Amino acid sequence: MLKSPAQSTPTSPLSVEKTKNKIADQEAKFTLNAKDKYFAWAFLGPSLLILGVFIFYPMVKTLYLSLFLTNTVGKTTVFVGLSNYINLLTSADYLSSLGVTLFYVFAVTIITIALGLVLANLASKRLPGIGLFRTLFSATMGVSVSVAAIFWLFIFNPSTGFLSLASTFLHLPQIPWLTDPTAAMWAVIITTVWMNLGFTFLILLGAMSSVPTTLYEAANIEGASSRFQFFHITIPSISPTLFFVSIITLIESFKSFGLIDLMTKGGPTNATNMLVYRIYKDAFYSGNFAQASAESIILTIIIALFTLLQFKVLEKRVNY
Amino acid sequence: MDIVTKPKLSRRIWDYTLLTVLALIILAPFLIGLWTSFLPTMQIAQGNFLSTKVSLQNYIDAFTQTPILRYLGNSLVISTATMIAQLIFCSMSAYAFVFLKFKGRKFLFGMFLATMMLPFEAEIIPNFQTVKALGLLNSYSVMVIPFLTSAFGVFMLRQSFMQMPIELKEAADIEGLGHFQFYWKMVLPYNRIPLMTLGAYSFLGAWNQYLWPMLTTFSNDFRPVQNGLRQLQSEETFNDWGMIQATAAIVVIPTLIVLFIGQHYFKSGVNEGAVK
Amino acid sequence: MMKKFTAFLKTYALPIFAIFALVLGLAFVHGSRDASSAKAGRIPVVFWHEMGGPAEVQLDKMVDDFNKSQNKYEVIPQYQGVYDEAVQKIIQSHGTSASPAVFQSFDISTAQMMHSKYTTPVQKFIDEDNYDTSNISSVARSFYSNKGKQLAMPFNTSQPVLYYNASLFKKYGVTPPSKSPSYSEVTRAAEQLYKKSHHKVKGMTMEIYGWLLEEALANAHTSLINNGDGHTGNPTKINLNNPTTKKFLTWIRTNIKSGDFVNYGSGASAETNEIAAFLAGKLGIFVQSSAYIGQLTTGNKNKLGISYFPHPDGVKANGVGIGGAALWISNDKPAKTQRGAWEFIKFTQTAKNQAAWQKATGYLALNKNSQKTKTLQDLYKKIPAAKVPGEQLASAKPNNTNSGILMEGMQLTRELEQTAMETVYNGGNINSALNTADKAMNANLKTTNKADGR
Repeated sequence: MLKSPAQSTPTSPLSVEKTKNKIADQEAKFTLNAKDKYFAWAFLGPSLLILGVFIFYPMVKTLYLSLFLTNTVGKTTVFVGLSNYINLLTSADYLSSLGVTLFYVFAVTIITIALGLVLANLASKRLPGIGLFRTLFSATMGVSVSVAAIFWLFIFNPSTGFLSLASTFLHLPQIPWLTDPTAAMWAVIITTVWMNLGFTFLILLGAMSSVPTTLYEAANIEGASSRFQFFHITIPSISPTLFFVSIITLIESFKSFGLIDLMTKGGPTNATNMLVYRIYKDAFYSGNFAQASAESIILTIIIALFTLLQFKVLEKRVNY
Repeated sequence: MDIVTKPKLSRRIWDYTLLTVLALIILAPFLIGLWTSFLPTMQIAQGNFLSTKVSLQNYIDAFTQTPILRYLGNSLVISTATMIAQLIFCSMSAYAFVFLKFKGRKFLFGMFLATMMLPFEAEIIPNFQTVKALGLLNSYSVMVIPFLTSAFGVFMLRQSFMQMPIELKEAADIEGLGHFQFYWKMVLPYNRIPLMTLGAYSFLGAWNQYLWPMLTTFSNDFRPVQNGLRQLQSEETFNDWGMIQATAAIVVIPTLIVLFIGQHYFKSGVNEGAVK
Repeated sequence: MMKKFTAFLKTYALPIFAIFALVLGLAFVHGSRDASSAKAGRIPVVFWHEMGGPAEVQLDKMVDDFNKSQNKYEVIPQYQGVYDEAVQKIIQSHGTSASPAVFQSFDISTAQMMHSKYTTPVQKFIDEDNYDTSNISSVARSFYSNKGKQLAMPFNTSQPVLYYNASLFKKYGVTPPSKSPSYSEVTRAAEQLYKKSHHKVKGMTMEIYGWLLEEALANAHTSLINNGDGHTGNPTKINLNNPTTKKFLTWIRTNIKSGDFVNYGSGASAETNEIAAFLAGKLGIFVQSSAYIGQLTTGNKNKLGISYFPHPDGVKANGVGIGGAALWISNDKPAKTQRGAWEFIKFTQTAKNQAAWQKATGYLALNKNSQKTKTLQDLYKKIPAAKVPGEQLASAKPNNTNSGILMEGMQLTRELEQTAMETVYNGGNINSALNTADKAMNANLKTTNKADGR
């Protein structure tokens, strides 16, 4: 869940409380200082350089590459205009990749949020020893892709895996977890949800604990059921956070790579060949850099749209 | 009295049962993995999952036959360097956006925000060519330099710098502190908690890097642990599940410990935007 | 908050830093091997390879022996993952300090390596040394040469063969497949084994692996691409949807339907899993590279049976091509490093080293004199089946269809072949799966040819 900060997303909408006497409110008081310009370059210089070289320039270069064909060693040869894009968007193969990615992204997001809510709601009860459960529920936050893949690959292993043994023991039919297209997709979804759960739980729990207790007390007096309270008090109160975690889960899922690489390599029958994995494969397996660049641009557009949506919703709460 | 406590008691039992069952489900992959890491590979291959022949042999093998420690060390170097760099460069940029007035400030900040829309995953091809041209392939630097700063970090710190009391700035002006002194002596110490949170994020972010190191490292001397584990799996053509699980345990246990200790700071970072 | 922070630091900072320091210390005490760590006075020769498991152990030993045999060069082996990944790593790192001096690259990358012009053909060194290549298998050498010039030196060469668990067949009283079995014969054996074992043993599997599909075409004397599978000219058309492919897939479909077939998917994990199942006595027959003989004979209590690659009914077996990889010398390193690389390549080709290589792995010894060594004589005495792949190789008369496919972009082609196989294994229509593959393959071929200006 915790990706590199360079790829991460901004902080929670709950972040900014307005109080007086803060720098933020005194902006107007500062006067333009000629010297500040030099300081600004000194302070911003390193970051600008890095972002320019590793974020802005490559975007332009990717766009450029996507308009050409590339040869054996990845050099551009023939200018083809938009034909890489046209080929992609008319290829059943690529469209199916797009389809499976969308399915995966929404399945992961919905299940992660639903389970996160269940866990957070349970763990927000004031019971003795609840702290222990909170810690255990957040445990998967410390698991990186490679470790998660090892754990779950063993569980899904067809011959000696845990599920295979368990279903033999219980005389249940064997599910070919990693060789059947549908099952493989679910295997990856389950693993991703499991990895995401710790982080999502922690954020939702935090949001729930900041809901004023007076609301619940009032509801209790009126005899409202706990189900009613959950849907009519908890959910509305935490909706900004809910939106925030949903969208970062969504964005991160679009960028899924590690688990695919470790668990299914995009197979079977391309059933898990998602966008980022495809880019990697087309570029660094097949050497088709031009096509991979076009795919990169499409991915960027999708992610940029969701990020914009996120900014839009955050806008009112964030000081520019 | 009975009427009041009885439903409460049964309710509690129900709550605890549910909590325990859910905790077990969530922990199951850890527990299964940990248990198999103590079993001889032969027992696992034969499906004797409940074998009693537990031993530490897999761990001894992992430490002596695989470069798992080297991988961990590499990751530690890369993550620490990335963390320190981001703390410095992100706080410097955030300082400029909050305390310096200059032309194009809004525009530049907009540019910083815009970088958050551009996924690094979509830029691997030119970035690979760049680091190749810079002669950085297969080194620690290749995994640190592109991540010296982060727009997210700048954004987060800017939010918290803006919440500082105005009196601090006024006091600094009266004392005649220059920008560098004010930044170093007042802004950084005052914002320890958000810095700590950013540090944790950047450390874990670097620790979890997968695709980039996979493309740019070619030897065990620099390979970080995520890719190291992948390497071990692909290199091991026997079904040596016991040892593979042992390597996973070696990697995950320290992370879990650090996480449980530092949990509080992630939470505060996310929920409060590191404001307080 | 501030108090908590200080308290946190006080309580945990020391232990955390102690752990950091300890891990770091331990990590870097462990020996590291890269170009800068070569022994003083020796020229480092970085060697990239893709051998995992027991083959890697044997390869490391060979490298070690080479380093001890002389004091001028130090070969530093670095494992680069599977063949598929390595090709682009080699091409993309070319010209940097991270690139290898000598590398192993697999059969289907030959055209790509040749066109990249990133290597020095080994012919140059063969001529300089008047090195006698006549002892090295000509079938293997011709695979990696172009217009009479040796581009790379074949190193690990395998043949696909059919493995069966002879003990299991005996136990259930089923006649095993003959030495050169037909499809229906294999089906018969697999079905009977599955039935007589009361479904405890699966009859057979065939990995979803383009190489095996290509070998099925080769064995039935069928070309996949025009211009003699690329041997007589640059290919312009691919035809996967041909009667031979259909026969092959229909055969597998028959076995899937009767329940004796088990699908382990594709890739390294499929191979690991089918071998695990075979060794555990849960699988009767599988078709795979001879390179696994080493693994299948060490610690296997059951008797191993090996037959030729199956052929379609009513068609005479044409013989299969080789698989494996060759050693190439990069042209971005100084002459003395290249010299070291060549000395190492020569070392790998000696009768003694090739014999030990075959014994440990199952790759065929390329040096004709290896057969006379005690190592192999003893092996054949102990495991007569180990002779079969060599015999299969000798039985084939080389022609265009069984000498590999010379085309750039073979990796992608193989991917598409595998997608078609997966579709069929999962119940899809054979004809439409093959048509889809053909369409994509030809589109890619067209793009490749256009990009390369051919």
